Amino acid sequence: MNRIVDIGVWQLAAAYLLLAFPFAIMLWYRIPMIGETAMSLVRMTVQLILVGLYLQIIFRLNILWLNALWLVVMVTVADVSIVRSCSLRLGRIALPLFVALIAGTSIPLLLFTGLILRRTNLLDAQYAIPIGGMILGNCLRADIVGIRTFYESIRSTEKAYLQSLAQGASLHEAIRPYVRKATQAALAPTVATMATIGIVALPGMMTGAILGGAGPVTAIKYQIAIMISIFSGTAITVALGIRLTTRNSFTGYGALDATVFRDRSKK
Amino acid sequence: MRRTETAGLTAALEARDVQVRFGEQAVLRAFSLLLRAGEKAVLTGPSGCGKSTVFRCFLGFATPEAGSIRIDDTELTAGTVWRLRQRVAYVAQEPDLGVGTAAEAIERPFHFRANAHLRRNPDRVPELFERFHLDRDLLHKDVGALSGGEKQRVALISAILLDRPIFLLDEVTSALDRASKQAVVDYLRSRQDATMLMVAHDPEAFSFVSQVVTLPGNPKMAGAA
Repeated sequence: MNRIVDIGVWQLAAAYLLLAFPFAIMLWYRIPMIGETAMSLVRMTVQLILVGLYLQIIFRLNILWLNALWLVVMVTVADVSIVRSCSLRLGRIALPLFVALIAGTSIPLLLFTGLILRRTNLLDAQYAIPIGGMILGNCLRADIVGIRTFYESIRSTEKAYLQSLAQGASLHEAIRPYVRKATQAALAPTVATMATIGIVALPGMMTGAILGGAGPVTAIKYQIAIMISIFSGTAITVALGIRLTTRNSFTGYGALDATVFRDRSKK
Repeated sequence: MRRTETAGLTAALEARDVQVRFGEQAVLRAFSLLLRAGEKAVLTGPSGCGKSTVFRCFLGFATPEAGSIRIDDTELTAGTVWRLRQRVAYVAQEPDLGVGTAAEAIERPFHFRANAHLRRNPDRVPELFERFHLDRDLLHKDVGALSGGEKQRVALISAILLDRPIFLLDEVTSALDRASKQAVVDYLRSRQDATMLMVAHDPEAFSFVSQVVTLPGNPKMAGAA
């Protein structure tokens, strides 16, 4: 297999020409998201350039603690992003969710690099950073769905929730149906993706491996391993995230503490 | 109203100078109430005066900023609430029975560890359905399809089956026809052993109670002695 062809600056600039299509559609139908789209494109470009430069240094140095630090930075950004997306209070949720994200990312990542790839350096930058990033990215999506579903469901059916407490449920018994619903909602997209992978779309890691020069068989082996790691990571992070955040989100009497929401006015 | 000799009996439900505030608004101020074991009372007053809040305080769902709540002579705290709740059967105004059929709603509390010893109690459902004029076919109906009155009676049956000595009943007859209401009132009257605090807009229908507590109508400053 050939090594991947690099893209020159002018060739990359040419990629932006493709934006003529979505912008033309937006102008034609007067879709009010041109400014937002332009801002997102600028952010994407700047962020990726900075990350690319930073990762180049990390890859060149390949120092264990620096690789670990980069993963922690990624987890922290994901953590804040999830809490904000769920309209919850950062001070109450961020720390327990951080622990859940660290566990949900590091357990499948270390098993991947240690058990599957048999690397002696478990946090080798070439593997740990892209694989960790893929697991974490999926954990982020799953946690937004799972954590939001959990808290919003209890808030919207508060009467039924309090009734189960009144009927003698412990806190864990009372929240169990909501944990079930939230975890199912969070895992469903990954389950659906696994069922259609390779048919509906060629998955990211497989594409990356092929572009990087790997053969299709090697690429699918990586893809299978990463899908299982992602699924395992999302399950860990959602279940643990809900479990750990409940410690700060309920009163000692078992009622959902309304101050955990940023928008307290909503009932 | 009937007076009962209560000296020396356990204070089953007690509120002492309870004050509850939601934001800037005082919902209850200096509210006090004492019901000894076996006593029954009606809590009445205009809408929004804090009647349901009194129940929320006894269940630990609202935390008073002042005063104390006691159940069975024990102060309600975050440490005791889990045990004390098991002494109280609560029926909410417009009860939410969750999801599934009426039978599943009735069975659900018996899956909680605290009620594990009562697992045979749902055997009494047919008898109670008959007593409260409910068709047994309703058991297989989705709770979302039940009428307000049917929900109230199913919730009451669910509360009765928990075999608890104290009842908090929030307008449990408000959506019932005359015959069903009479059946519920007759049942409540027959439970001489039980302590009952009932919210009702027609206290005269509950002639067997020993106290009628009226909360004043000022929504910003409600209280009762």
